[in-house]
Amino acid sequence: MRRICVLALLLSAIVGNSAAEALLIRNATVLTVTKGTIPNGSVLVEDGKIAAVGENLSAPAGATIVDASGKYLMPGMIDCHSHTAIEGGVNEGTVSDSSMVNIEDVLDPMDINIYRALAGGLTVSNVLHGSANAIGGQTVVVKLRWGKTAQDMLFAGAKPGIKFALGENPKRQGYVPPSVLPPGRPAARRYPGTRMGVEDVIRESFMEAKNYREDWQAYRARVARGEHPLPPRKDLRLEPLVEVLEGKRYVHAHCYRSDEILMLLRVADEMGFKIRTLQHALEAYKVAREIAEHGASVSTFSDWWSYKIEAYDATPYNVAILTRKGVLVSVNSDSDELQRHLNLEAAKSMRYGGLSEAEALALVTINPAKQLAIDDKVGSIEAGKSADLALFDGHPLSNYSKALRVWIDGHEYFDRDKDLETRPDFERKKKALEDKDNGGPRLPTRR
Amino acid sequence: MKQLCVVAALVCSTRVGAQPVDSNSVLIRNATVHPVTGPEIQNTSVLILDGRIAEIGPKLAPKASIRIVDARGLHLYPGLINAATNVGLSEIQALRDTVDLDELGLFNPELRAASAFNPSSEHIEVTRAAGITSVVSLPGSGSRRAGALLITGQGALMHLDGWTWEEMAVKPGAVMDLVFPEINTGPAQAGAPPRPYKDALQQYTDRLQELGEFFEQARRYQKAMAARAPDFRRDLRLEAMIPVLEGLQPIAIRAERERSIRDAVAFADEEKVKIIIVDPREIGGTGPLLKERHIPVILGRAFQLPMRDDDPYDAPYTLAAQFYRAGVKVCFGTFDVQFARNVGFEAAQAAAFGLPRDVALRALTINSAEILGVGDRLGSIEKGKLGDLILTDGDPLEARTNIKQMFIAGREVSLESRHTREYEKWMKRP
Amino acid sequence: MIRVRSGARRSPLAAAVTLLAACASLRAEVPSAIAIKDARVVTVSGEDLPKATVLLRGGLIQDVGAGLAIPQDAWVIEGAGLTVYPGFIDGLSHWGLAPVTNPAPEVHARGPEDRPQTYSFERAADRLDPRDRRLEAVRAAGFTAAATFPDRGIFEGLGAMISLGGAEVRDMVIAQPIGQQVTFRITRGPARSGYPASLMGNIAYVRQLYLDLDHYKQAKEMRQPGYDHALEGLADSPRVLLPAEQAQQIDRMLNFAPELKTPVVLYGLHEAYRRIETLKQTHVPLLVSLKWPEKPRDAGPNDTANYRLLLMREQAPAVPGMLAKAGLKFGFYSDGIDTASGLRQALKKALDAGLPRAAAIRALTLNVAEMYGMADRMGTIERGKMANLVATRGDIFEEKSAIEYVFVGGRKFEPAKEVHE
Repeated sequence: MRRICVLALLLSAIVGNSAAEALLIRNATVLTVTKGTIPNGSVLVEDGKIAAVGENLSAPAGATIVDASGKYLMPGMIDCHSHTAIEGGVNEGTVSDSSMVNIEDVLDPMDINIYRALAGGLTVSNVLHGSANAIGGQTVVVKLRWGKTAQDMLFAGAKPGIKFALGENPKRQGYVPPSVLPPGRPAARRYPGTRMGVEDVIRESFMEAKNYREDWQAYRARVARGEHPLPPRKDLRLEPLVEVLEGKRYVHAHCYRSDEILMLLRVADEMGFKIRTLQHALEAYKVAREIAEHGASVSTFSDWWSYKIEAYDATPYNVAILTRKGVLVSVNSDSDELQRHLNLEAAKSMRYGGLSEAEALALVTINPAKQLAIDDKVGSIEAGKSADLALFDGHPLSNYSKALRVWIDGHEYFDRDKDLETRPDFERKKKALEDKDNGGPRLPTRR
Repeated sequence: MKQLCVVAALVCSTRVGAQPVDSNSVLIRNATVHPVTGPEIQNTSVLILDGRIAEIGPKLAPKASIRIVDARGLHLYPGLINAATNVGLSEIQALRDTVDLDELGLFNPELRAASAFNPSSEHIEVTRAAGITSVVSLPGSGSRRAGALLITGQGALMHLDGWTWEEMAVKPGAVMDLVFPEINTGPAQAGAPPRPYKDALQQYTDRLQELGEFFEQARRYQKAMAARAPDFRRDLRLEAMIPVLEGLQPIAIRAERERSIRDAVAFADEEKVKIIIVDPREIGGTGPLLKERHIPVILGRAFQLPMRDDDPYDAPYTLAAQFYRAGVKVCFGTFDVQFARNVGFEAAQAAAFGLPRDVALRALTINSAEILGVGDRLGSIEKGKLGDLILTDGDPLEARTNIKQMFIAGREVSLESRHTREYEKWMKRP
Repeated sequence: MIRVRSGARRSPLAAAVTLLAACASLRAEVPSAIAIKDARVVTVSGEDLPKATVLLRGGLIQDVGAGLAIPQDAWVIEGAGLTVYPGFIDGLSHWGLAPVTNPAPEVHARGPEDRPQTYSFERAADRLDPRDRRLEAVRAAGFTAAATFPDRGIFEGLGAMISLGGAEVRDMVIAQPIGQQVTFRITRGPARSGYPASLMGNIAYVRQLYLDLDHYKQAKEMRQPGYDHALEGLADSPRVLLPAEQAQQIDRMLNFAPELKTPVVLYGLHEAYRRIETLKQTHVPLLVSLKWPEKPRDAGPNDTANYRLLLMREQAPAVPGMLAKAGLKFGFYSDGIDTASGLRQALKKALDAGLPRAAAIRALTLNVAEMYGMADRMGTIERGKMANLVATRGDIFEEKSAIEYVFVGGRKFEPAKEVHE
């Protein structure tokens, strides 16, 4: 009997624990985010969930044990603004309102940037349509389950979203300078060309959505009366907007200037829906009160500014000001590169505005989880939540730290040691394929 | 007595303000001093007189009319140097009118970044708030628009404090900025097919040839000038090449890949000029070559994506350590404006992935100074050097650390900026 | 032939009659009875026959078997040393299409209502040109029929099963419409083209069009007025062909297919080696492209493809073998390879990578016929089917084997004697 147990242990060690097996991470400094820090703590994972958090936990038989002495365990990080893993174009910018397109249709689970993000401690991304139009496409929340299919990456139970964009980006096609056009081609301009037009697109689209909803309500009423009318044409563009009106779909709005932020809040009020998150919102600090009153939250850059005029009034103290004025804030990446070190971006708010360690960590864990309404499942290390965990070799808010191992639902998706170990073998395999591709090994040429 | 009070009042009142009243002498007491060229010294003082470090030691006696800064519990470091930026030359990237980079023409050695450096750029205050006391401003952005540029001009080492660019210039002609050609098979425009290798190679070879020809022209000019031939006429462009040819001005060669690095070194050998390799993306086998030739490297940002899909995920992070372990002298630059202030964090990331921490600090201070030829004046806390210093409550390469005070050439410099002013104003909104 | 007495004056009427008669004689009926005697016959419908005779008459296979009596009027071809296979069928092509002259300029689409890049109503059968040189070239590789589709836009139009030996257009079309081809058109660079420019825009558009089709059908049932050319084309499509080359695209299309409520065929499949298990669960008909991914000719030494692409180049030719082993039905298509040698080399590559011969033959013949609902007429050597055959000296997949005869609808071609580019 004992021999079989040993064999099972060996096998599980080789294969890596599956979600069903138990995992005990021991002797780490556990940064729970919501329930303080446990200096010599352990986390027990069973069936993909955090079963227990504390000191001196014991592991059930057959559990994988990870000795994390001297290391730091934090919740897997969450990025509220990502364009990673999108195939065939981030924008459908050809129309003013492209709400019929859906990021879920074009997820690319083999984008290497998923793995690179995991290697920095990221576990969840809010994957968004770009900012080429006032109303963009439908968006989706994913877990970075590297190696699985797109379907398997979807965050079960996360509410779907839709992307809006205000400011310079959605009006860029409204005026095409003559110098940019190929000679002889007429200006193919797409409305809008001003911020006023951006507001108009949103108001008009929602007016259409309301009319559409009424058409369907009238149809259903007639059917209920026993009639057999022709139903209205199902319009994929207006369906998601109706969902927004009914609170079934979250609005994530890219915005910069305080005037457009305020405009959007007022339009949403007028149309009877809520803005869930204001993305980037670099001038949100100027309208913090109005944002808090509306009930929106902000997901912003740590310290980007000056790359365009609408970003000129940006300040890295944005996060601190909003936090102090009662707005829920997260720090996002909007970048394949930045998403690899969101912990370091969060740390900047300790210098720019004096956020505490706990407040800084929350910016990339529990706060974005709340914004996406997945905080019952992720965002902190608490019993009952999914075992989405990141182990660092130093405090994650230190610039000298790096991620060592990352788990999602208790399954290990990144291990730096394994990554380093497998490199020579990978190089060998690749060389073999290259030689085959070249029709034989190449003589060393001047590279 | 009244005089002393007035003086004392003057002294006390010069603690804050963008341009403190003409005082470039100060006594900083009881700090933990990090000279960089020597071990850390606890509880010691540094005296700056007329802009230069005069003395370092415990219990230095205060001198009359010299302001005292009590630095108990704080750390004193040399001001950080960002060895490659476009600060002062570019304000808002998306607005061409605010950008002065990449002048037209293949060869522009006579162009001078120093005199186009805008002393009122908001980026100056923002960058120095992170502990950076001087930057090199390059006249090129590094963009390789289908090989449209080669020599973009002369980069200048500038203090981030001064009323005019003239006052701010530490070394106006610090480096000659050269964008080395690359074999570029990417598509000419988005959506177009990739260019055939043959064509890309041909363009690369043509460019190299043009470069060689230009250097030859410069040498002929140099010779004619020295010989004072009666029909000699001055040419600013070729004249600007003379310090390079004489080995007095290094060429900062932007070379990304191994092949370009090798070809750049071969070029330098042939032309017998001094070079720095800047913003390489890989080391390949060039380590021993660079070490042997004593060619230093200005590293670009660690926070980049690996060049190729199959590259190790940490390739950009480990690059600094790889050059260091090969025996190459390295320093850091960000090659931009927006993130110039984050050069410290770039160095820290390199340290997280293999560069020893003390080397990371050297690569932001003394190495940069030496590579730029100002090692006698900047880069460490030593007697005789300029008083470019920062007082912090911890390691300046950590985001959690606060930069408390800054001195440039002995003058205390405000750490306020557009960013802090927005913060203060809008926190007050009811 | 009407002889004209020399020297006699010819009236215009007489001249006209002469001309007509001359034309008629150029269209003289060649007797259609042919017997290929005692050859090795790969029937596909049953066991290979080591020594059998195939009788052709009237464009159809009259009979096949060992020791058949040869009809008196039959032209006899000695089959000793010959192997006879059913003629190959190209599963998806643009062969025989005349280019579109003066295409109408693309309307800058502002949404799906503008029906962007939609030619769902266009019929390949209406654009055929028997003089397309590629028909000959492909025939020389043993192909006798091809599923030909129009080639513009996202909804490219209604395909036709064409015969690769017809002299006139009317002889070329065996059956139509056999399906609707969809190709996703993604515009890179500044999106100054109309909707859609992105992949998600393409998918959303296809989805919307099928919803509109549903609505259109309902409206018709209720006798509502209206005519939508694009939707009529869709309504006429017995099946839709969706692009699925890479693994995630295969997943995507398998996920998408049920929404369309119409039979689906996937084409491409070079990365299917990553999805054999998934494909086993779904039984969607598959068309594998013969254009194996290869290193481009003008690539530089430093332009190494990434690992994934290198692996695809190595593994793609092994996909047919894997599909066969998994018991999945698939066919081949030329994907633009328009030379006999190119096609034969591509097929050889698949065999070398593990595709059994019998499976290869089946993929080139009966599987494609079944996919398009035409297995009653083509794809095997059985009595009553079209006389589409290819006869080789030696195994057809060996490069050295000469393809001696190709029969298309009973018409005999000898590729070795034709001049090819």
